Amino acid sequence: MTMHEKIEAMLEKVQKAPRYTGGEMNTTLKPWDEAALHFAFCFPDTYEVAMSHLGMKILYHGINSQPDMLCERVCMPWVDMMELMQQEDVPLFSLENRRALNEFDVVGFTLQYEMSYTNILAMLKLGGIALKREERGEEAPIIVAGGPCAFNPEPLADFIDAFMVGDGEEQILELNRIIRDGRKEGASRLTILKRLCGVQGVYVPALYDVTYHADGTIASMKPNCPEAPEKVLKAIIKDLDETYYPTEIPVPYTEIIHDRIMLEIMRGCTRGCRFCQAGMLYRPVRERSLERLVDLAVSLENATGYEDISLSSLSSGDYTCLAELIRELIRRLKEKRVSISLPSLRLDSVLKESLEETQKERKTSLTFAPEAGTQRLRDVINKGVTEEDLIEKVRDAFAGGWSSVKLYFMMGLPTETYEDLDGIADLARKVTAEYFAIPKAQRAKGLRVTCSASVFVPKPFTPFQWEPQDTQEIVKEKQKHLRDKLREVKGVNFNYHESDLSYLEACFARGDRRMGKVLLRAFEKGCMLDSWGEHFKYEAWREAFEETGIDPAFYAFRRREKDEIMPWDVIDCGVTKEFLWREKEKADRAATTKDCRKGCNGCGLQRFKGVCKFCG
Amino acid sequence: MMAVFEKSERLRHIGHLDIQRAVQRALRRSGLPVSYSKGFNPHILLTFASALSTGAAGRNEIMEVQLEREVSPEAFLSAMNAAMPPDMQLSCAKVLDDRRMALMAQVSAADYTLTLDDMSAAKIIENQLNDFLAQESIMAMRKTKSGMKETDIRPLIHTLTMDGNKIHAVMTLTERLACKPNMLMDALAAFTGMEAVPRVLTVRNRLLGCDEAGALVPLETL
Repeated sequence: MTMHEKIEAMLEKVQKAPRYTGGEMNTTLKPWDEAALHFAFCFPDTYEVAMSHLGMKILYHGINSQPDMLCERVCMPWVDMMELMQQEDVPLFSLENRRALNEFDVVGFTLQYEMSYTNILAMLKLGGIALKREERGEEAPIIVAGGPCAFNPEPLADFIDAFMVGDGEEQILELNRIIRDGRKEGASRLTILKRLCGVQGVYVPALYDVTYHADGTIASMKPNCPEAPEKVLKAIIKDLDETYYPTEIPVPYTEIIHDRIMLEIMRGCTRGCRFCQAGMLYRPVRERSLERLVDLAVSLENATGYEDISLSSLSSGDYTCLAELIRELIRRLKEKRVSISLPSLRLDSVLKESLEETQKERKTSLTFAPEAGTQRLRDVINKGVTEEDLIEKVRDAFAGGWSSVKLYFMMGLPTETYEDLDGIADLARKVTAEYFAIPKAQRAKGLRVTCSASVFVPKPFTPFQWEPQDTQEIVKEKQKHLRDKLREVKGVNFNYHESDLSYLEACFARGDRRMGKVLLRAFEKGCMLDSWGEHFKYEAWREAFEETGIDPAFYAFRRREKDEIMPWDVIDCGVTKEFLWREKEKADRAATTKDCRKGCNGCGLQRFKGVCKFCG
Repeated sequence: MMAVFEKSERLRHIGHLDIQRAVQRALRRSGLPVSYSKGFNPHILLTFASALSTGAAGRNEIMEVQLEREVSPEAFLSAMNAAMPPDMQLSCAKVLDDRRMALMAQVSAADYTLTLDDMSAAKIIENQLNDFLAQESIMAMRKTKSGMKETDIRPLIHTLTMDGNKIHAVMTLTERLACKPNMLMDALAAFTGMEAVPRVLTVRNRLLGCDEAGALVPLETL
């Protein structure tokens, strides 16, 4: 049987075969032999998750828009498919030309969350590629990785040849050109990798040596060749209007998680929440112009036939001309009955009316993220939301016919006390009181307030990068306390996560190169699909730490010194360490920092003239 | 407007609801003046003559779309073919008389080709096909809303022939009564004493309706 026939036979046996069949509207099938560079865009999670990811759509079409380059999608197969592939000796293949992963010139992974790392190893293995970069031959594809987790590349340093840090649209093409030319002239892997150092935001781990102090902290991290820069500055796109954005995106046949047009209206966020890594990594704020967005929305609608558009960014409510944008989108897309998902309730009344005319108003639940239960703690994390703000919005929502509200909190934030936890219960109680304050006849039936509390994970490049995570014992006690408190509040459901996953996430988020050993060991012990509850094997992870002699507490529960060399110090994310430390000190005394739109806070972006429109 | 379209083999694992959504989105892309239902959640007025089950491909599937104003079949065809994915192209379109019976109610039977990939199983079936058809009744289990129900499928099989590893069958398909390909395969496997039902690639070639003389003819020609 040919590989194609084997795959067809396997598809008869697996759940959700359309995950593996390809051929969706707006996907690109290029003749394999005509491309000078073959790029496999790998998403280390299942098809439904992968196809919901905006970055993949941008880069997939961006690479394919180059006449001599070809980009195909590869996703993590589900367990049943994986077993069949191993049984039938079918390698992991791309959705378009069904080529094995090891036939590509470049295999690129997007790193969206730490707990997808085992899937990367699983995909490399299934794709017939040596897991460790040192063991790869000259013929093997160059393995690259980008996305938010690439800002601390070190836990994956053993497995990835080159990391791509920052905005990918232009960087990925430059990287592809260098690899294309290098392979054409028969240059060695090492030569190609050294050349890649010339691309802004590319970090090649093989070209850096790390030494450690006796206490396990890093003593030095230095380039071992002249090509590698001391510090790798992330790639920054200055003007989003000038950069590539697809006018068509794949439309899967089956339902995916975000089954709609995602229109990235801006990148970056000026709010400066201290726990938020994305808020630091994606600086500076860059807005797409209204004209460009309307053009894109119309083209995307015509190319996809989607029924919904969501305005995507870290804080869409902050987009300068949001009201005008929405009005214009409604005007242009009215006839097509496209509904526009709105980021927040901060809308003037005129806008509300025009929305009500055109939108299929689905009074599903409204989501608020106060993140912490007391004003003191909200000041610590610089979350510029007050209780009055929240209560006012909730009151509007209940009066407007909503009856279901979701409240998101974090547990284990720096300086948190039991008073702050009680604050969460108080806030939930006040929210329910707003509902009951409305006369029965005038409010929607069935109050549902859902309180979710996730476990805080300190992340690199945030003011909390020096902070310890709460130990699992403390987390469990706090969860129990909050559960008991919330049980007293009528109409409130409490959701919380098992702390094990957050604990591992904390280890990888701030891990160094040595975490690679743990990752490999855990994978060998069968860990993968860790973010899918039923496949998470905590016991195996615990053993992996033990067997490799690596102490997870060192990464998760340790308070770092001010001058400690962090594994990610090799990356310059735009924001400086000095700014982060200043913010950490302000957090310690619960002092807030203003939104950058109200004046420059000196985060570090001012070093690059003209990059941030709010500084200088 | 009635249109005949293909659901290619690549799409055989896509379920009917997903196919329906794919056609709706194609209609939205096409720029054709489609009619929407009135009410709170307007949707495109689109029906299918018969849902094709997950796992099966269809050569001539039939849809009906209501349009706000007159469009020529040629214009409809070219707009839709530009908007439909390559695996779902249309082969013809035809303006329907508003007063005629719903498409769904006109379907009487369907013409299938079932390809076996196990050649020895194909041989066994071929050898016993005449004996199989000679039975007075053939009981098969049919999935209904209220559970499994036993049905005599012999009167529902209009023709059944074989050609190498391909089974050709024309079988009754109405909303009330039908012999689906899986029921036929179950019965064939049971009759020939096979332990497992052999795997087949199911292709529905055509939907059939009854003309005035009572003969089965392609639905789109009625």
